[in-house]
Amino acid sequence: MKGQAQMYRDVVKPLLAGFGITAKRLGRKKVTIQYPEELREQYPRTRWRHFLTRYDSGLERCIGCSLCAGACPARCIYVEAAENTDQERYSPGERYAVRYEINMLRCIFCGYCQDACPTGAIVLRKDFELANYERSQFLFTKEMLLEEYPGQNLEPHKGKMQGTIALKN
Amino acid sequence: MATVAATDTVNIVINDVDLQVPKGELVVEAVKRLGHEIPIFCYHPRMKPVGMCRMCLVEVGFKQPDGSVRKMPKPQAGCTLPVSEGMVIYTDTEMVHRDRKGVLEFLLINHPLDCPVCDRGGECPLQNNTIFYGPSTSRYIDIKRHAPKAFPLSEYVTLDLERCIQCGRCVRFTEEISGDAQLAFRFRGAAMQPSTFKLTDFDSKFSGNVIEICPVGALTSSKYRFRARPWDLETSEGLCLECGNGCNVWLDHRAAKLVRVNGRTNEAINEEWTCDKGKFGHDYYNSSKRLTQPLRREGDRFVPVSWGEAYAEIAAHLGAKSAALVGSTVSNEGLFCLQKLFKDGFGSENIDHRWTRTLPAAGERVAKRHESSIASLEHKKTVLVFGADLANSQPIVHLRVRKGWFLNETRVVVAHSQTTDADSFANLLLSCKPGSLDDLAMGLERAVAEAQKTDVQGFASFKDTEKTTSVKESALREVAAMLLEGNASIVCTASIYNENKPVETLAALAKIAAATGAEFNVYAEGGNDEGAMALGVMTGRNTHEILQDCAMGDLNALWLVGADPLTLHPSRRLAEDALEAVPFLVYQGLLECEAMGYASIVLPMEAPGEHDGTYTNIEGRVQRMQQAVKNPGDGKPAWRVFSELLVRIKPGRPSFSAKEIMDEIAATHPAFAEATYDKLEKEGTPLKPVIENFYM
Repeated sequence: MKGQAQMYRDVVKPLLAGFGITAKRLGRKKVTIQYPEELREQYPRTRWRHFLTRYDSGLERCIGCSLCAGACPARCIYVEAAENTDQERYSPGERYAVRYEINMLRCIFCGYCQDACPTGAIVLRKDFELANYERSQFLFTKEMLLEEYPGQNLEPHKGKMQGTIALKN
Repeated sequence: MATVAATDTVNIVINDVDLQVPKGELVVEAVKRLGHEIPIFCYHPRMKPVGMCRMCLVEVGFKQPDGSVRKMPKPQAGCTLPVSEGMVIYTDTEMVHRDRKGVLEFLLINHPLDCPVCDRGGECPLQNNTIFYGPSTSRYIDIKRHAPKAFPLSEYVTLDLERCIQCGRCVRFTEEISGDAQLAFRFRGAAMQPSTFKLTDFDSKFSGNVIEICPVGALTSSKYRFRARPWDLETSEGLCLECGNGCNVWLDHRAAKLVRVNGRTNEAINEEWTCDKGKFGHDYYNSSKRLTQPLRREGDRFVPVSWGEAYAEIAAHLGAKSAALVGSTVSNEGLFCLQKLFKDGFGSENIDHRWTRTLPAAGERVAKRHESSIASLEHKKTVLVFGADLANSQPIVHLRVRKGWFLNETRVVVAHSQTTDADSFANLLLSCKPGSLDDLAMGLERAVAEAQKTDVQGFASFKDTEKTTSVKESALREVAAMLLEGNASIVCTASIYNENKPVETLAALAKIAAATGAEFNVYAEGGNDEGAMALGVMTGRNTHEILQDCAMGDLNALWLVGADPLTLHPSRRLAEDALEAVPFLVYQGLLECEAMGYASIVLPMEAPGEHDGTYTNIEGRVQRMQQAVKNPGDGKPAWRVFSELLVRIKPGRPSFSAKEIMDEIAATHPAFAEATYDKLEKEGTPLKPVIENFYM
């Protein structure tokens, strides 16, 4: 008998207690998600991948002033400016960025560039999926950073993998 | 007991500190003695004060007999107010701060605040003063003044009228410093704008300086436009070798590319100015025509080869019957190694660096080439500019001579057959017929001799002189009298060797200088020509003889060191014949050029800012320039090529650094004894005067 009581105290009771917690939690909402098939919504002020934004007119906001490069503590931004002409206009004023490069390997996502930008051109948004296979792929050029249409940067991040892997039923 | 040299001083009080300052000193300068700073826009220490911007307002009072201070009711402009006995100055009171805020608010009313796209942004006095002294916001809500953006004043200077704060620095620069008076203010009030008369091009030889002294981004460089921001730039101390003045400059570079050249202060040479050649003439650093690797001719095309192969080819072809012609931007070290290579390696002495029409033989050469330092020219009583267009060939000497005339009442006499920029301020103009400079010098010599009552036998009469030169007797006598008053300087440049009978002209001038006690200068022209003279890079056959020998087939090989005879030599025909006929031609240079088409071997050379080296300027000042940017290709400094090649021909220890070569030069050339790298001074070290007699 003594053995049975001990068995109940040491094995069955903790087991039941454990299952009890499981049973209690079953009713609650799950906190884990199936990444990469599923994505969690990022916090609104998350600072991940940069975007070069556009005005509603489609013109680039960036004027190539290089203030982001000056503010960058990791010195990972390189800007080369050129002059807009009436025939070839990229941004509203006299000046636009002809080259804009961010070395993502060096970037520490501090957001100082966003702070420094006088036109709100460079912003850090929610795309955190920045892994890649080759170092050269981490040198983000102006073409990669520039949003395709005005307002693209404000859309929620959809995730690279979503839809590419079949979801389990 | 040593006595202090007596200067007139006055007792003043600055921010409750008593001190003595020289009488008549401006308040804005006097406060610097205590380490205080008064913000300024229009005031420039090298120009006359005008008090246009009102940024320098200070509170001023005077000590009363009872010891109290009676302040003036209104603030005073520190840049126009000279100190006087008992003056009490406050630079840090509430009233002063309020005034500065007010002035800045007014200045910013019409300023567009497009700092992010402005080339001046980041190094702008208006930005700095606004941050330190200005209001954080503006109360002005109306529409700002608008004007066309980016108006090209000239090929080099762009004017953005919206940004102008009408300080007048640029206008005063062209009136007081460069002397061409190209800019002036048009219109009044808010519409006031600096502009050229009749809106012509701003065509000055010193226009680049207004970009640097403009306290806002109103005048910007067209070449630097949008190339970089100040924080993108790395800055190195550099030298300009466009002419022989050896101006100190800042080489601003970004991502290993030279983007801008700015003046660097050296009181002994260029003060803080640059000429446009120096400021805008450094395009070759980034030229697409830069040579990047050694090339060998194969048939009618060039194939890239390694340095080793190129050396082997050169060593096989060059010998006792070879010669070298040198350009003007090779460093002292390069010239020395070239001499060594030719003498010890090839057993030839035929080297020359001169490209003028007349190349005097050793016996006729004027040895005293620079008695007056550049800085001393502004304190001369009389400066005789003889046969030289200083503004073109020696722009910084031109500025000094003009400064002397403008500030120190130097009398300037210009003697030339052409019109020069110095004519505009010359006190006396001896404008002679073309090709008659020698007669003019002789006539002047007679005038001096007559004034000194010495023997004038053998001289042409004044009448004959007037016939040949069209210069009147009275003018010559006047110049002679001026020279005899003492403290005079005669300034010629090597361009006189392109004139008729230069040796006779210089001999006459040297005699005039000796008779009157004037200083005599024949300034060199090219970047390091003076260094080449001091090192004696003119042995064996001279330039003309070398080219003739090449054309006649007497020389087997010719080495062009940074020189293109087709553009440099006065006779293009002879240069063409020589390059055509010489069996083996080595072209070593920065850029692709016409002469390269004749070459058997082409070697890339490093530009002066790409390697360590010293250069000697026209007054014999040895200055060092360290590497600022990297060579874009596989180029080597000239000295390294010569040194490495010498090891192949005559095995031994090569030179490893430019410093080592300079030590060797100092040991073998007494003039350079004080010019070793560890002894070189910040402003450059003048060569030791070695030759005392006029003729070698």
